[in-house]
Parts: sequence; C-alpha cells; structure tokens
Amino acid sequence: MQNEMLAATHESYFKIDPRTKLILMFFVNMFAFRGGNIFIMLTIAAIPVILLFAERKIKGAIICAAVYLAAALINEWIVPATHGAANVLVVMISGMFYRLMPGFIMGYYLVVTTTVSEFIAAMERIHISQKILIPLSVMFRFFPTVVQETRSIGDAMRMRGIAAGGSKFWKRPMSMIEYRIVPLMMSTVKIGEELSAASLTRGLGGPQRRTNICKIGFSVHDIVLLSIVMAVLLAYFLFEKGGVSL
Amino acid sequence: MIEFKNVSFFYGEKERENGIENINLNIQKGEVILLCGESGCGKTTLTRLINGLIPNYYEGVLTGDVIIDGTKVSTLALHEAAKLAGSVFQNPRSQFFNVDTTSELVFGCENMGLKEEEISNRLDRIVNDFHLQLLMKRNIFHLSGGEKQKIACASVAMAHPEVFVLDEPSSNLDMCATQDLKYMIAYWKDQGKTIVVAEHRLYYLADLADRIVYMREGKIEKIFTQAELKSIDNAVLAKLGLRTLNLSSVQKDSKINNNKTQEIILKDFYFSYRHALILQIDLLDFPKGGIIALIGHNGAGKSTFARCLCGLEKKCKGKMCVCNQEYKNKDRIKQCYMVMQDVNHQLFTESVLDEILLSMQEQDALKAEEILHRLDLAHLKDVHPMALSGGQKQRVAIASAVASQREIIIFDEPTSGLDLQHMHEVARCIRMLNEMGKTILIISHDLEFILQSCTHVVCINQGSVIDNYSLDEKGIRQLKKFFTDIDI
Amino acid sequence: MTNKKLQAKDLIHIGIFTAVYFVVFFACGMLGYIPILFILLPVIVPIGTSIPFMLFLTKVKKFGMVTIMAIISGLLMFATGHTWLPIVTATGCGLIADIIFKAGEYKSFKHTVLGYAIFSVWPIGAMLPLWVMRESYLEYIRVSMGQEYTNMILSLTPNWSVFILIGAAFIAGIIGAYFGKAVLKKHFQKAGIA
Repeated sequence: MQNEMLAATHESYFKIDPRTKLILMFFVNMFAFRGGNIFIMLTIAAIPVILLFAERKIKGAIICAAVYLAAALINEWIVPATHGAANVLVVMISGMFYRLMPGFIMGYYLVVTTTVSEFIAAMERIHISQKILIPLSVMFRFFPTVVQETRSIGDAMRMRGIAAGGSKFWKRPMSMIEYRIVPLMMSTVKIGEELSAASLTRGLGGPQRRTNICKIGFSVHDIVLLSIVMAVLLAYFLFEKGGVSL
Repeated sequence: MIEFKNVSFFYGEKERENGIENINLNIQKGEVILLCGESGCGKTTLTRLINGLIPNYYEGVLTGDVIIDGTKVSTLALHEAAKLAGSVFQNPRSQFFNVDTTSELVFGCENMGLKEEEISNRLDRIVNDFHLQLLMKRNIFHLSGGEKQKIACASVAMAHPEVFVLDEPSSNLDMCATQDLKYMIAYWKDQGKTIVVAEHRLYYLADLADRIVYMREGKIEKIFTQAELKSIDNAVLAKLGLRTLNLSSVQKDSKINNNKTQEIILKDFYFSYRHALILQIDLLDFPKGGIIALIGHNGAGKSTFARCLCGLEKKCKGKMCVCNQEYKNKDRIKQCYMVMQDVNHQLFTESVLDEILLSMQEQDALKAEEILHRLDLAHLKDVHPMALSGGQKQRVAIASAVASQREIIIFDEPTSGLDLQHMHEVARCIRMLNEMGKTILIISHDLEFILQSCTHVVCINQGSVIDNYSLDEKGIRQLKKFFTDIDI
Repeated sequence: MTNKKLQAKDLIHIGIFTAVYFVVFFACGMLGYIPILFILLPVIVPIGTSIPFMLFLTKVKKFGMVTIMAIISGLLMFATGHTWLPIVTATGCGLIADIIFKAGEYKSFKHTVLGYAIFSVWPIGAMLPLWVMRESYLEYIRVSMGQEYTNMILSLTPNWSVFILIGAAFIAGIIGAYFGKAVLKKHFQKAGIA
C-alpha cells in the first residue's frame, strides 16, 4: 500500500498522456453514472480495468474487476428480490457502488500510473493557473507526510494509554479527536513553514513561466485509445436512444 | 562577496532577545565561513539575511545593509535572491517540494524558467559529479536522511548560485552522511564558491573552514582562523559553549555508576516488513538499571528495535525477561516509555501539569508538582506544552516518563541539533533517571553525549547485534573507533 | 509586506491544509462505511474538519483561499468516482464562503461561523446521486412492481429529504465552527501558532 497519492516514480508499459487519462475519466464517470443495462455497465468498467492490465497492475486490476462484478450482480439479482426498506437500503448502497465504481477505478488507474510531475506538466500545458497547481503539488507531496505524522502520533497515544480502546479512552471519548488532531496540526504548521521557506529560496513564485522537463505529449497510443473508447460509448448512446437490441 | 554593514535585526515585537546587533562582516569570494555559538546566538538569523528570507519571509525590524556581489539583498524579491544564494536547511524531511528525486533536482531550475535542454545538461553533470546515479528517479520518502540531504544539496547546486548558505545541515545526519556532506562542501569550495555554514557540530568542518565566526547574544564576539581554532583545547571550547573539534579527544565522564547485577534479557526479537527481515536478534542481554547506548549506522534497525522493545510493533513476537518475569508485546508497552525524536508527537494537553497528570494511573497533583520541580519545570506548569522551547518540551516528555512510573525509558536521538549546554542538560536528566533506578536505552550518534551519559553500548548492524560491551577503557576505545572510522 | 493577492507562500499553505483537510475528511468518510453512520456523514465531517479549517483561516487570510481548497477537494472527489457534481457544489460553496470571510475581514467570528456553515454543505454534492438515481430507480420499479409499491417507496424517501441533509450539514457547520474555535483557543493560540 503506497502512502503517496500519485505514483512517485513509474515506468510505463503503455504510455498515454495524462490529459487523455483525464478525458477518459470524465467520460467513464459520466456514462457510468447514468446507469443502464448490466452489459453496458460492465463494458464501461472494463475500460479502466483493461488499462490497468496494460500497465501490469495485475493485482489491482483483478481486485477492482472482482468487486465490480460482485456489485453488478448484486444489483441485478438481489435488488429485485428484496422489498421495502431493506430494498431501499440495498439499492442505495449497491447502487452507489454500481454507478460510481467505474469512475473510481479510472481514478485509481490515474493515480497509480501517473507521477505528480507528469500530472502537473500536463496541467501546465493546458494553462491551468499556478494558483491551483502549486497547492495541488504541495498537497500531493504532503499526503505521505500527514500519514507518517499521524502514525507517529498514534504510536505515542498507544504508548501513553490514550488510544482508542485503551485504559483511559473510556473516561473521555471526545478527547480522542483532540489528541489525534491537535499534535497533527502543530506538526503540520511547523513543517509547512519550513517547506515554504525552503521552496521560496529555490525560486518558487517568480513571475516567469515555469518549465518542466517531464516528457509528455500525445502519441499513437492516445489516438487509438480515444477512438476505441469513443466508439464504445457511441454504441452505448445509440443503444440507449435508438433502442437497438443487444 | 558578502558584506554586512552595521546590520541589526529583531523579529517582530516579541523576540527581542533573538535578534542580532551591529553586525559588521566581510566575506571574501571563495571563503568558507563557519558560524558558531550557543543556541540563540543569532547564527541562523545571519544565514537568513544572506538568502533573503529576512526580510521577505520573516518579518521584523531591519537596519543596515546586506550586500551580495554588489546588490543589496533587501531590495531583491526572494526568487531573485535565490539565484544568488542557495540554501540547505537542517531538516531533510521538510525541505523537498517534490515526491521524486529527479523532479526535486530540477525544481529550482524549472522555477527559474530555464530551457529544458539546459536543465537536462546540468542534471547530467551534477549526477556525475556527485555520483547520484543510484538515487535517480526514486521516491524521496524512501530515502535515508543522509540521502535526502544529498539530494537537497545537489538540487541547490543545480541553480549554479555563487553563494551557498547552510543552516545546521548535519543535525539529523549520522557519521557517514556527515562525511558525504563534508565532501560536497569541499567540492563547492574547490569550485570557488562562497560558503557560509551555521553549525553546532564543528568537527567535520575543522579542515574546511577558512574563518570561524563565534557569536554570542546576537553579536560577533570573536573571529578565529582555522589554525587558531585548532589550537584551542576542549576545555576552553566548552567554556565558549562549543562542541569538540576532534572526536578522538573526547573524555568519558566518570560520574556514572556502573555496577549493576540484574539483567534484562531479550529473546527472539524478529521483525519483518514487506517480506524483508529487518530485525533479527536471537538473544540480547543488558544490565537492569544501566544506561545503554544503541549505536549503528542509519538504516541499521535501531529505531525498529526500539519500537519493538516498546511494544509498538504488533508483529514482533519477541519476549523480554526481567527478574524471571516474561513480557510479551502487550505487556511491554506498559513497561516502556519512549521519548521520541520529534517530541511534538507526544504532547497532547493544554498545560504542562496536565501533561504529567495524563501519564499517571491515579492523578496525584502533589506528586506531579514534585516531579516538575525535579526537572526544573515548576515555573512552567500552566504553560501550554507547545509554547515551550525544544529543550523544555523534552524535559516535559521526560517528566511524563517519570510520572508513568515505567521502568524502561528509551530515548530516540535526544541530542540532535543541540548545543553543548543543552546536551549537558539532557545528560543530567538521564543521570537523574538512572538514580531513580530506571533502565535507559539511548539511540544516538552523538559521541560526546554517549561518553557523558552511558554505561554500556550495543551496536546494531543490518538488524543484528554485532557488539555489546560496557564502557570501560577498552569499551571507550571500541566506541571511538566506531565513530571515527567511518569507512564501511 | 502584506499583499492582498495570493502569493507562493499562501499557495503552499493552501496545499498543506487541503492535504490535512482531505485526510480528516477521508477518515470521517471511512466511518461512513458502517451502515447507520453513512447518513450521518454530512454531520460528522464538518465537525471533524473544523479544527484544520479554523487554523487555516488564521494562516492565509486572503480571498480565494477557500475557493481553491474547495475546487481541489471537489476534483479529488471526482477522481474517486463521485461524478462531477461535487466539483460544482464545492466551487459554489467555496466561493460564497470566501466572499463571506472577506466581508468579515477574517476577524469577525459571526462571519466565520456563517462562512464555514455554508462551506460544510459542499459534500452533499457527493450524495446528490442518490436523489438523481432515485428517479431512474423509481422508473424501474414502477415498471416491475406497479404504481402502489412505487408510491410507498416515494413516501418513505421524499424529495425534500435532501433539504434536511443540507440543513443538517449547515447546522453541523455551525457547531463545527464553535468547536474549532474552542480548540483554537485552548491549544493553538496558547501555543502561539494560531
């Protein structure tokens, strides 16, 4: 389980531009959300799963595929079989999974196959403002730090007997939030100041346009992939609107 | 190259003691200047004046001029000052902006808007010059402290500044990493760069520094040449509040009681992480009531060992035997107390007194105040722990350890970045704990400190114990050899 | 040297606090996998994230700080599969919150409470699919089980329940603001970092 939000380093087997991944994510998200026939849904979900396989993320691909298949089958068989309030509950939960998971798998794909630098490079190419990019970069860089700090604080809490389930916990349960978050914030602020100072002495925030040595760009892979996916989604659209039978 | 003309600076309104006054200093091109002095003497402030953090980041009242290569620093925006002076800071983990090493190296150049081709060229040269091939395209979070600091130095060098400013860069580094740092500074010196280093640990710069500027209470008190400094003996250095220049010359403090009879035995301490066996200790014994130094190079497994001993690693199956009683993981967590490297992680309450009470099974305010008294914290009992200085926070953590009445206390690098006086204070606290009968384990790579406070040494390498000896004459020689003989 | 516009220093702070905000957000969200608590998420989240947020307000104090944090959070929700709705609600709530905070010059507590309460509504965007989906689900059961059954379902989950959740989030935001402020006073101000 990696701590990092986006991949730190990545060797690509099937390299596509981060922008293509974002376009795909948008469409998968949109179409999965509208729902529909189980075969359509499985096809849409298959897009990110196949991409995951292409990038040799076998374990992740299999888990996502399995979970989604389960969600789809629950939706197809168990929902009609239950009634009343239970029915509504099952629909709500499995329905959410059913419609949101393809987007999630696509997001997962983006996250494990793109480095922060590549992502930011792509964003810079489409002229997204530094006002969004700098916070975004810092955020990605900071996630693992937050996780590390939280772990360390958790250890300290266990050692002092104030962790969840510990001897002192039941006397003042609300304190849990305090104990967990307050030291984290202190640490965060301190690290934040050091990071700020260091980055500024490296020239961040100047008026000139940043360059980026990450090599990104559209290639044959992108064009082929986008064409195939568009064709699939078009077919879905036609099926929905034109009532073409499967 | 760098000129200070009647410079005075005070931070905001509050910290008037931590400013500097009437600084006049001329640094020639190509000089290596070492700024030293006790904590709070103003050396960090001086470095911030050179790289422009003052006045652009740290606000306060500035008078006088700081001029680099003919330009007044105060007139420059930070990103412009960045081209003149590159900065390396104390803490490897909070300096980097990127997640992977290659991006971090090119970060400064990208900010300057240099062409991609130029950046690539510079990158190739730096990787070659500093032998960074193995560190390329790696996740920075997976690097050791020394490796991170190397990347920090290299990435600063990529921008080709004429001046390098380093603020206590070796604080969190072990012996080998400090050597690497020394080589980098030597390399820059050869290139004719001007280097200013603020430091506590003087020994690694003894051969590199051209002039040594000794500061006290915000003023420059004396300037030594390298030869002059080397001729001063340890006792005088100590009076100045400075650490030793020569590690082999450090003496052991003979005040420590060294005859313990009972033993603590550790059995079968194995620990794996992601299928790699990190800790492999079949049997280890050390005296109950002793003060044991845990030494070893970075990554050897000292911290892992300490955590396992404390019972913080659930997967560790080892057993601890004390006085015929066996302690497993769950039990050990109630027997051990760890004073962490980052004390901020273990302070939770809103007042020092509360912090002590938190550690007690039955809250006893009187006893708590007694403990505060012993640790010279009584006058701070209502202050919020996070408002204290680093040394005071550490004493609060120690006080909590005492209040918990646990028998084994572990310290993780308690003297990182501390000057001589504070190091003595920590040593004093440890002796006090020892008198209470506690068994103390200290992870440290501070030779002076170990000789001041410890009775035994356990050396760990690659997860196993390779040495276990008491600090008699032979032991001291062995210890010094470990610290001065860094060719592994 | 205070400047009204967002500088690199501020942008870094926004990034850091967004990271913490989202981690806390996610941690609260994990609680939502326990079936009953799922519905309580709009209430749990604003209270949990109030501490980092209140601290954030003392650190930057410039227009746009909350909007940027909100947009990024919305994008993160999108990336985890929650459709583009959260991006819209986040941007909207964030912008309004920013306007309110600025109007209070980052000093007035009343403005802080109001702004945070409005901001707390944005995660509802992630739950909106439930209502949008409801329409197509209702279609499906009307066809398979008849009008009467459909009516019963309708009465169990009325359309206006979304407004209850919005209201609950808003109130949770108010409570969160007071809670966050209390923690600020108790800890951060005394420690000197607020």
